[in-house]
Amino acid sequence: MVNVSICVGSSCHLKGSYEVIEAFRNEVKKRGLEGKVELKAAFCLGQCGHDGVAVKIEDEIIPGLRAENVATLFDEKVMPLL
Amino acid sequence: MIGEDTELEWGTLSLNKKGEELCGDSVRVVKAKPKEATLVLADGLGSGVQANILSTLTAEMLSKMIEGGVEVREAVDCLIRTLPIAKNRGNVAYSTFTITKVKPDWSFTIYNYDNPEPIFLHYGKETPLIYDELEVGGKTIHRARGRLAPNDVLIMVSDGAVYAGVGETLNFGWTRKEIGEYMSALYDPSISAKNLATLLVDHCRVLYNSRPGDDTTSLVLKRRKRVNVNLLVGPATNAEDDTKMMSLFFSKEGKHLVSGGTTAKVAARYLGEKVETSLDYIEPNIPPISHIEGVDLVTEGVITLNALVKLAEDYLGKNEKYFDWSYKQDGASLLAKALFEEASDISFFVGCAVNPAHQDPKLGISISTKMQLVENLTEQLKKMGKHIRVAYF
Repeated sequence: MVNVSICVGSSCHLKGSYEVIEAFRNEVKKRGLEGKVELKAAFCLGQCGHDGVAVKIEDEIIPGLRAENVATLFDEKVMPLL
Repeated sequence: MIGEDTELEWGTLSLNKKGEELCGDSVRVVKAKPKEATLVLADGLGSGVQANILSTLTAEMLSKMIEGGVEVREAVDCLIRTLPIAKNRGNVAYSTFTITKVKPDWSFTIYNYDNPEPIFLHYGKETPLIYDELEVGGKTIHRARGRLAPNDVLIMVSDGAVYAGVGETLNFGWTRKEIGEYMSALYDPSISAKNLATLLVDHCRVLYNSRPGDDTTSLVLKRRKRVNVNLLVGPATNAEDDTKMMSLFFSKEGKHLVSGGTTAKVAARYLGEKVETSLDYIEPNIPPISHIEGVDLVTEGVITLNALVKLAEDYLGKNEKYFDWSYKQDGASLLAKALFEEASDISFFVGCAVNPAHQDPKLGISISTKMQLVENLTEQLKKMGKHIRVAYF
């Protein structure tokens, strides 16, 4: 199980948490990874200075994510962990 | 002081006759002492400016005189001799009215002049009131007495309510009997006076197909239970004060609401619990709520509070959003339910710590925004008649 936490703090919310969560849900569904990837919400991950949403994949924090980059990030960071 | 204590709460809503900018119905409430109040609902002759002036004068004069100790008979006599005469209406100066005066022992007297009979919901059931007649200056006023038990409700309406539907959906309007049955069927002790008035008037709007043939007003009086709710916003300016702030907050009776992600973390740490976050965006505009064992509600901070302030503005006015927040489960709706409806007393615990996350000017949120929001919110809650206490840390 790979844990992916998406920040829903005020700052990330304003930069698109909702869209990023939807994008992650789509990727999980499209790739049939239900039960293998767990999506969660997180409070402030301390990355507010970046332009975009902060996401934590296992222990790695990735700042500045936008919905359109979710698929690429999934390939690079989530798939190798599966 | 809270607990079994009760107090008076009232709320009102009006629909303007189609095409009119001013309402011909006026409501005035004078509350000189905590358990006393004089409420007046006046319905001016005609519509528009003329009706508005007549009813405003009537409501204003009656409420002030009666609250000042003038006998109703004398106040009405004085009113009749003061109202301007409408030359184009057969020289009549006319505004119907209902006066309700509540005394500290919860007994009330209604003086009704040509408005529909008020609806008295006693222990949730409509209970008829017995009227006698009073002759004042050639006018017959109907007087009734009663006593409010806890959660009892008194509903006053202008005749626009009993005409609801005429020319649209009902041939003979919505009768007084049907309105009584409708309101006792809807009644629940958890519904605020304002929301009861809204439910009644909104149904009139529906019957009128949103084209009211007359000004329609409901004024609702309720003897409600005092309920305290505590709201925690933001961590203390100095982190070493957090523990003190949390212990004061959690030692207060009543529900505990926490607003803000960082604040939630501090509260969870104090309680030795975890913050369970959730991904579920019920409303795309409002960040999801989370859960902490021992806290009744955990929401995000500034964005949710901003939405809550907008709901409060609406609640004090047309109250159109009530039909959403009464059932929605997003953070702002849940806060609205707890603060606007459930609480009579609200204790704010406001931490003034600067959130480094919010310092980016592009976000448009800052410490001053948060303080401004708290100030706006407390201001509006006071207008709702809530008892507000604010402590800053």
